[in-house]
Amino acid sequence: MRRLLTLLLILSLVAPARPASQAVVLVVGADSPAIEMDSVSVRKLFLGVPVLVNGKPLHPLRNRSDPLLDEIFFQQIVAMSQSSYDRQILIGVNRQGWLRPEEYSRVEDVVAALNADPNAVSYMWQRDVGHNPKIRVIRVVWSD
Amino acid sequence: MRVSYLLIAGLLLCSPFARGDPWQYELLLMPSAQAVGTFDRQAPVTEIVDEVVQVDTLFTVQRGAFKVFGEYLLSDHEGDLERFQLGWQATQDTVLWIGRYHQPTSVWNHDHHHGQYLQTSISRPFLDEWEDLGGILPQHFTGMLIESAHKAFGSWRLRTALGGGLAPIITPKGLEPFDLLHPDSEHHQVGFQARASLHPGEFTETGFGLLAATDELPTIGLAVTPLPGLDHVDLKLVGAFGIYAAADWKVLGTWYYAHTQLCSPTAVVNGHFQVGYVEAERRLPHDLTAFLRWEGSADAGRSDYLKLFPMMVRQRDVGGLRWDFVERQALTVQLSDTNTLNGHFKDIRLQWSAAFL
Repeated sequence: MRRLLTLLLILSLVAPARPASQAVVLVVGADSPAIEMDSVSVRKLFLGVPVLVNGKPLHPLRNRSDPLLDEIFFQQIVAMSQSSYDRQILIGVNRQGWLRPEEYSRVEDVVAALNADPNAVSYMWQRDVGHNPKIRVIRVVWSD
Repeated sequence: MRVSYLLIAGLLLCSPFARGDPWQYELLLMPSAQAVGTFDRQAPVTEIVDEVVQVDTLFTVQRGAFKVFGEYLLSDHEGDLERFQLGWQATQDTVLWIGRYHQPTSVWNHDHHHGQYLQTSISRPFLDEWEDLGGILPQHFTGMLIESAHKAFGSWRLRTALGGGLAPIITPKGLEPFDLLHPDSEHHQVGFQARASLHPGEFTETGFGLLAATDELPTIGLAVTPLPGLDHVDLKLVGAFGIYAAADWKVLGTWYYAHTQLCSPTAVVNGHFQVGYVEAERRLPHDLTAFLRWEGSADAGRSDYLKLFPMMVRQRDVGGLRWDFVERQALTVQLSDTNTLNGHFKDIRLQWSAAFL
């Protein structure tokens, strides 16, 4: 038993550091008119479908700073495979002239875009939000 | 006309209602190349063109709830502004368009438009064929289109589209829609279209619906007509359609009943015909999709209106295979067996199509 406990202790020390829990949250700028959004509206928004608040369309921003975020985006936000999503975006542009979400590969750029555009909506790791007063969390998209 | 549309577009996009919103753009290119071989030919008229290289360009400029949306098709045979619409997103589920649009009672064209990449088969059903390719029904109108969606019966969605605008005229070359870039005709009359469909969810294509349209189509310069002194045709359509879309299967079908009234200063001739199709698409391993389509008609041979269209397809069987060999690029082969009002022919088509965002 003592050997087993020793082994577990060593393993826990050697194992890569990982936060106790992770979450992906839906975020807007501090002065955004968006207060809350249900999962259907979030899905529509990132499929390019117009979602209006106070008569103005929200602007979705895809955060592609982390491959794991991409996985969560397809599984939890738009609920479809990458190929199906790609086709839906093409169909939206072809039928209605819908705009596909702008894409950003750095978290800093997502934050800057949220601050610049009050109608922008994106998602990021909760740890990346930190205590930034210019960003407001309106929904937890996924947590482990 | 060109200047006034651009002026309205500019005013909308710069209006106080859009103040504070960023300008946003989208550009989608859908190129394709196609070759057609016709054999066993016993019909006087088959294809208008045997090979086509084309680029379908879609563009959107949006600011706030206003947008300018267009589709320009450039091919080795034509260059045409197929759609040019000024849009206002009135509510989350309702958009108002003015400009040149594809009429909503053609389910195929309203869903696929001109981009070859987004349709599984190479050719479209003949009842949805474009005017300049021998089509029998008006497809391009210039006027107003209102598209909307609402909750209905719990989680179901009711999608509607209402349109009204200048309809095509009938010339020796077939139907000729109002041309925004060369607005040179004052003969066009107004036509109206309506479409309503029910869908079991917000995000599904599966659904069924009803269609109706009424058009007055003036005739210009016809040397030979089924009715002496033919002045115009009143065309009324009612129809129904259904779509079943699952992960591996898609089945879609449309059926129209058309009532025609050929009018001259001294006589009126009534007639009717029916046209429709059913297409089944099956996804297979290795990014392959097989498709089969049956197109049929009733009373087509007795219709005086259809005598104006020598390429009218009475019955056609279509089958083929599409291979999405890399992301956003596909190769398709298609075989067809066609009976027109005047004969019969078969054809084989090969196509490369792509989409670039």
